[in-house]
Amino acid sequence: MNLKKYLVRALHRLQKGPGYTYKELLVWYCDNTNTHGPKRIIKEGPKKKLIWFFLTLLFASLVFWQWGILINTYLSYNVTSSLSIGFKTMKFPAVTVCNANPFKYSEVKHLLKELDRLIEAALERILQPMPGNGSENVSPPLDLELWNQIPLVLIDEHDKDNPVILDIFETNQTAGGNKTAMGNETKKKYKLAVKLCSHQGSDNCTYRNFTSAAQAVTEWYILQSTSILSKVPLHERIRMGYQAEDMILACLYGAEPCNYKNFTQIYHPDHGNCYIFNWGMDEEALNSSNPGAEFGLKLILDISQQDYIPYLSSAAGARLMLHQQKSFPFLKDQGIYAMAGTETSIGVLVDELERMGYPYSDCTMNGSDVPVKNLYSQYNTSYSIQACLRSCFQNHMVEICGCGHYMFPLPEGVNYCNNEDNPGWAYCYSSLRSSIKQRQICIDSCKETCNDTQYKMTISMADWPSEASEDWIFHILSYERDMSTNVTLDRNGIIKLNIYFQEYNYRTISESAATTIVWLLSSLGGQFGFWMGGSVLCLIEFGEIIIDSLWITIINVISWCKGLKQRRARAQYPDVPPTVSELVEAHTNLGFQHEAAGTLPRDEALPPEPGTPPPNYDSLRVQPLDVLGPDSDAE
Amino acid sequence: TLSELMRWYCLNTNTHGCRRIVVSRGRLRRLLWILLTLSAVGLILWQCAELLMNYYSASVSVTVQFQKLPFPAVTICNINPYKYSAMKEYLSELDKETKKALETFYGFSEGKSKVRRSVDEWNSTGNEFFQQIPLLKVEDFSRMATDLHSGQKRKIEGSVFHKDSSIVNSGDSNDIIGFQLCDANNSSDCALYTFSSGVNAIQEWYKLHYMNIMAQIPLETKEKLSYSADDLLLTCFFDGLSCDKRHFTRFHHPLHGNCYTFNSGENGTILSTSTGGSEYGLQVVLYIDEADYNPFLVTSTGAKIIVHDQNEYPFIEDIGTEIETAAATSIGMHFTRSRKLSKPYSDCTETGADIPVENLYNKSYSLQICLHSCFQKAMVQSCGCAQYAQPLPAGAEYCNYKKNPNWMYCYYRLHEKFVKEQLGCQQICKDACSFKEWALTTSIAQWPSTVSEDWMLRVLSWDKGQKLNKKLNKTDLANLMVFYKDLNERFISENPANTLVILLSNFGGQLGLWMSCSVVCVIEIVEVFFIDSLSIVMRRQWQKAKKWWNDRKRGSSGKAPQASDVERQGHDNPVCIDEDLPTFTTALRLPLPQDSPLPRTPPPNYSTLRLETAFTEQLPDTLELGQH
Repeated sequence: MNLKKYLVRALHRLQKGPGYTYKELLVWYCDNTNTHGPKRIIKEGPKKKLIWFFLTLLFASLVFWQWGILINTYLSYNVTSSLSIGFKTMKFPAVTVCNANPFKYSEVKHLLKELDRLIEAALERILQPMPGNGSENVSPPLDLELWNQIPLVLIDEHDKDNPVILDIFETNQTAGGNKTAMGNETKKKYKLAVKLCSHQGSDNCTYRNFTSAAQAVTEWYILQSTSILSKVPLHERIRMGYQAEDMILACLYGAEPCNYKNFTQIYHPDHGNCYIFNWGMDEEALNSSNPGAEFGLKLILDISQQDYIPYLSSAAGARLMLHQQKSFPFLKDQGIYAMAGTETSIGVLVDELERMGYPYSDCTMNGSDVPVKNLYSQYNTSYSIQACLRSCFQNHMVEICGCGHYMFPLPEGVNYCNNEDNPGWAYCYSSLRSSIKQRQICIDSCKETCNDTQYKMTISMADWPSEASEDWIFHILSYERDMSTNVTLDRNGIIKLNIYFQEYNYRTISESAATTIVWLLSSLGGQFGFWMGGSVLCLIEFGEIIIDSLWITIINVISWCKGLKQRRARAQYPDVPPTVSELVEAHTNLGFQHEAAGTLPRDEALPPEPGTPPPNYDSLRVQPLDVLGPDSDAE
Repeated sequence: TLSELMRWYCLNTNTHGCRRIVVSRGRLRRLLWILLTLSAVGLILWQCAELLMNYYSASVSVTVQFQKLPFPAVTICNINPYKYSAMKEYLSELDKETKKALETFYGFSEGKSKVRRSVDEWNSTGNEFFQQIPLLKVEDFSRMATDLHSGQKRKIEGSVFHKDSSIVNSGDSNDIIGFQLCDANNSSDCALYTFSSGVNAIQEWYKLHYMNIMAQIPLETKEKLSYSADDLLLTCFFDGLSCDKRHFTRFHHPLHGNCYTFNSGENGTILSTSTGGSEYGLQVVLYIDEADYNPFLVTSTGAKIIVHDQNEYPFIEDIGTEIETAAATSIGMHFTRSRKLSKPYSDCTETGADIPVENLYNKSYSLQICLHSCFQKAMVQSCGCAQYAQPLPAGAEYCNYKKNPNWMYCYYRLHEKFVKEQLGCQQICKDACSFKEWALTTSIAQWPSTVSEDWMLRVLSWDKGQKLNKKLNKTDLANLMVFYKDLNERFISENPANTLVILLSNFGGQLGLWMSCSVVCVIEIVEVFFIDSLSIVMRRQWQKAKKWWNDRKRGSSGKAPQASDVERQGHDNPVCIDEDLPTFTTALRLPLPQDSPLPRTPPPNYSTLRLETAFTEQLPDTLELGQH
C-alpha cells in the first residue's frame, strides 16, 4: 500500500507541474526556459512564430554540430609548442672520447697473429695470383681451422648464369693456374664473398657478396676477431685497450685544470676503452655559465696511430660524442671523428624537446612501459631509443642463435658467441641482421623518450700544432707522459679538442596541451551562449522536460493499455457487463493475456457483429486509475 | 510609438542590461544602468574586434616520430667536371692563351724547357680569346687601363663594376685587374669588371670562355667526356649490404659534369633505413683522379655531395658539401620536415602552380628553382639565348659567341640587375610551404690509417681492376659515410590557432559574459531597431503626409480637421500596416501600458492562462481517485 501511495503522490506532484499533455508541457517550457529562442515562438504572431521556430531549430542544430567539432578537437589531444632560445647557465654535456681503434695492436698481437697471417696469405693469393711465389714455403704452415669456420671465397662471374665458387686455399692447386690466366687477359670479373654456413652442415650456406674486396676483407676480419676477442675476459680486454693516462695528455675545463682522473672509464665494444668527462654518475654535473672557447673543455689526446690493428679499423682519429649525463654513449650512431694533427673546435647548442606523455604523444618518460628488457641498465644509464633497439636485437639474438653478440651487453646467464661453442653463429647473426622483419619488430616495440636532447655542433678544424710550435709542444707532452726526453709523439697521433657553448646555448621546444577541459567547457559554453544564450541550467531544464514527457508517455501508455483491455473485455462478453472482480482479474493477468488468452477469445468473437460502440472514455479514465493499485501490488 | 517600442523591447529582451534601465527607479540608478549597458556593449565590440584580428594566426606544433625513415637521395660529383685529358681537343687553344697570359703578366711558367718551346707556338697561335674579352690592368683613379695582351693603353668608358668592392678602396690601384665587356652593337657602351687579385680575374675570365666552348658541345658528348660511374665509385655499401653502380642514377650537371645520385627513386623504389648509425648508412669510396683535373677551372680537389629529397633538384654549386681526399668524411643526418600554412596565414606556395614563372627543372618547386628559372627567362628575353648553367627553356639555345656575340655583356648586366633585385624575381618567387631538411653533422678522420694504408690501397687497386695499371694513391681516394644519427623524424607544422568554431565560441563567451546575449538577441535588435523602428517612422511620415494633404484639401473646403479621424484612417490604411508585424499592431491596439498597474506581455499570455485552467480542471479529478 505504501508503494501505491507513493506512486500516486508522485503522479500528483508531476501533474501539478508543467502540464498534463505534451502540448501544454511544451508551451510551458517555451515560455519559461532561459534559452533565448523558444520564448519567441510562443510570444510572436503566427507568421513570426514560424520563422522563430525554424530559427530556433537551426540554431539548436548549429550548436550541436559545433559541439561535436569541439569535443572531437578535444579528444584529438593537440599540443601547442613554445620555443625559447637564448643563453643560460646549463649543465655541460658529458663528453665521451675514444680511440677509433679498440685495442693496442702490440697487446693483442698474440691473439690475432694467426688471423693476420691468414688474411695476409689470402690477400697475397688474391692480389698476385701467380703460382709458386715462394713465400708460402718460407712461412710456417697456416692454421686453416680458423679459416674453414668462416672462409672467404672468390666468385668467378665470367659466366653470369653459372658462377664458379673458388675457395682461396683449397682450390689453390687445381684452379689457381686457370684463374690467373683468365684474370690477366679479361677485365675484373671476380668478386670476393664471405661464406657463412649454419652449424647443421656445410650444405646450408649463404654467400655474402661484396662489390669490393676491401669491404669483404674488413667484414671477414671483424667476424673472426669478435669471435676471438669474445673469449677474452673483460678485465683483460680493458688492459689491452688504451689507458687514460696514455691517451689524455692535457685537460682544461674553463680556467680549472683537470686530468685523466676526472674521466670515468667505460668499456665500449666498438672502441675499447672510452673515457667520459662529466658523466655525473658519482658527483654533480659541472655547469658552464659562459659562452666561448675560453670557458669550455680543452683536451689534448694521443691516439698513437702506429699501434692500430691494421685490418680492423681503417679510419684513424678520435671518436667523440656529446651526450646527456647518465646516458650511455652510442658512438656508432652519434659520434663524430676528430682528425689527428688538427685542432677541432666544437661549438655546442643544446636542442631540447620536452614533450607531454600519453595521450598527447606516444613517448615514454623512463622506458618502464616498453616491453623490451633494457640491457644497458647494468651501466646505470637512463633509457634511450638506441639502448632499446640494441637490447631488442640482443634479446632476439640470444633467442635464435643461443648466444649474445659481442657488440652488445649480455643478458644474464648467456655467453658471447664464438666459433668454437657456436659454430653457426656468424650465419645466424648475419641472417638476423639483414632480416627486415626483426628490425620492424624492434622499431615497433621501442618508443622514443619524451625529453629528447640533441647537441647541435658546429665543427671547425685547423692544423695543430703549427710547424713553428711543433717541436716544443711534442717535447713537453712526451716528457710529461713518459718522463723522458725522447719525443714519443708525432703529428699522426695528436689531437686537440675544444668543446664549448655557443653564444646561444639552448633552444627548447616544450609542449603544452592545446585543449584542456577548461578550454572545452568554455568553448562549449561559448557556442551555446552565442547561438541560443543558453547555459548548463538550460540543459537541465531541457532534461527536466524530457523526464516530464516521459512520465506523460508512461501515463498515456498505461491508460491506453487499460483502455484496450477493457474494450477487449467488453468485446468478449458483449451482453453481460463485466463485474468489478472480472475487470480486476483481467488487469492483473496483463502479462499473459496478450499471447495466449488474447487470441482465443478473438477467434470466438469473430462471428458477432464488429460494431461494438467505443467505450466511454470519461468513465474509463476513472477505472484504470482504480485498478492501478492492484496492478502495481501484484508486481 | 518609438518610445513604446523601446520600452517593450527592453522589458522583453533576452539581454540583461536593458531591462534594468526600464525597471530601475530613480534617475541616478537609471543613468548608472544606461552607462553600464553601454560600456558592456563597448567592451563586447572591442573584444570581438580583437578576436577577429587574431583570427589568422598560426600556432606551431612539433612532433617527433620514431620510425623507419626513407633514405634521402645523395648526389655525388667530382669537383672537376670533365676529364682534362679528354677535353684537350676543345680547350687546348684556350689553355694556351691562358698560359701565355700568365707568362707575360706574371712571369709564371710551368717549366723552363717547356716555355722556351712554346714561346714559338704562342706567336703562331691566334689571340681570339683576348680579342673578345681583353684582360686589363686598371689604374683606378686615372680611369686608364693597360691591355695586358697588347700593352696598349686605353681609356675606360662606361661604368666600372667591382667584384671586390672592399679591396678597391685600399687605393692600391696597381693590383686591380679586370676585363672589359662591351656591347657589340655599340662599342662605346662598355662595362669593366675588376678584381683585386689576378687569381679571381683569370679564373672568371677562363670560365666565361669555357662556358662558351661547352655550350657548343652536345650533351651526349659531354656525358662521355665526364666520369663514368665505374670511374668514380670504388666501393659501395648501404644498410649493411653491398651495392653497386646500379643503385646510382646519372645526372648531368652543366658545371659539375656527371654526378651520380644514390637512391634517386627513379625505378620507383626508395630505399629506407631501419637502424641509425654509421654501419647502416651509405658508405662509398670515391676515386678522384687528381692528375686529370683542369688546372684553371677548378683549384680544389675532392668531391661534392648534396643530400636532398628525391623530388628536389640538387643545386650542387649552391649548397653542396665538399669532401676531402685521403680522409673519411662521416656525415650524420638528422631529418626535419616542416610545413607552413599557405594563404592567408603566410605567403608561401603549395605546388608553385600559382607562381608566374615556368619551372624549367623537371623537379618539384623550390625557391631556388624559381629564382633560377626566373633569371633564365629574363636572360632569354633580353639576350636571346640561355645561360649555360641552367636548363633550357623551350625553343631557346645556349649562348655562345658564334651566334650571340653580345651575350656576355648582356649576361653580366642582367646578373648585376638580378643581384640588386631589379629583375623582380625575388618578389615573384615565394617559399615552398613544405620542405624537408637534413641537418648534417660532418666530421673528418684520417683514412686510411698509416698502418692499414698498405693493404687497403693494394686491395682497392685490385678492385679497380686490371684496367688501371697503376697503384692507387691515397690522395686519389675519398671515403664517405652518410647515415642517420637517429631515426627520429621531427615534423614542425603550423596549425591554424583558431578555427571558425573556436572564434564563434569566443564571441559567444564575450557576448554571454557581458550581456548574456546571443545571436537571438542580435536578431531581436535587428528586428526592433531596424525593421520595427523603420516602420514606425514610415508610418509617422505617412500620417504627416496624409495630414498635410488633408489640410490642404480641408483648407480649400474650409473644414476643420479631426485628428482621431485621421489616426483611424492611418490605422486602417492597408498600406501603413506592415504585413509582417502582427505583434506590433496588436501591441498598439492594446490598452496603453501605463493604464495597467503591471506591464503585461501581449497576447501569448492567453494561451498560458488557458493551460493553467486546464490543470485546475484536471487536478481535483485525480485527487479524488487517489483518496479512493
